[in-house]
Amino acid sequence: MTVQEIIERAGIKEANLGIAYIKDAIHLIQSQGNDALATWKVDIVDGTRDYPLPANLIKLKSISIKDTNDDKWKKIKRLLSDPTVTEDNSP
Amino acid sequence: MSFNTNNTWVYKISGRNIHLYQYLYSATTDVLAGYSIRIPDAYFGDQLVYPDESITAGLRFEGTAFIESFVNNDPNELTGSNANPTLTEESPTETSHVNLSRMLSLAVVDYLKAQKYEASGNVELKEYYMREFWKKVGDNNSNKIQTGMSYTSTTYSVK
Repeated sequence: MTVQEIIERAGIKEANLGIAYIKDAIHLIQSQGNDALATWKVDIVDGTRDYPLPANLIKLKSISIKDTNDDKWKKIKRLLSDPTVTEDNSP
Repeated sequence: MSFNTNNTWVYKISGRNIHLYQYLYSATTDVLAGYSIRIPDAYFGDQLVYPDESITAGLRFEGTAFIESFVNNDPNELTGSNANPTLTEESPTETSHVNLSRMLSLAVVDYLKAQKYEASGNVELKEYYMREFWKKVGDNNSNKIQTGMSYTSTTYSVK
């Protein structure tokens, strides 16, 4: 369905406002379900614990780490509680 | 060399970051004359440590994102040779196609109506169209799931 068709069906007269609402609706749909999945790959650096989530990520589905032994990315588990050590200056 | 990463790595969400740890069941070691030795008095047992190796493209995120939302062709129409359409992302204009299924496109129409009525102060109609929006989003999700149901019937039951 084209942007124009959606805007006309909804009875909205301003195209830019209609496009902004369509973007909001897509965000809501993506945050509720898994309609369009994407993947991002980041380098792991020795001794670095913190890695930013991708800026355009809406809903996280899984995190995987590369097993260099067999060249596969394997899904890892989420920690449910905080570790005792909150920061380590000499990891 | 990382191995069994599904069992030896864990993460924790911390605001906009993740904290990545390796799980070890050992003590702190050091290398002396080519031999890996356990450091005296080092704790032996379960430990969470910072990543102890660099892996190129080693961390993989999977999730939903605002990508290819507006495209040049209708995503719901096959080409003449019954192949999926070739979609190229473009900046949204009135002639762009929204890269959603027909059902989700209809849901978006309901969302726009809800916003229109909210702007005019008609909360009742806004609520009605938001319900319609979520109903269609739910229908779209359940359209991809097939479930089977079976019932027992007695010997002389009317079928």
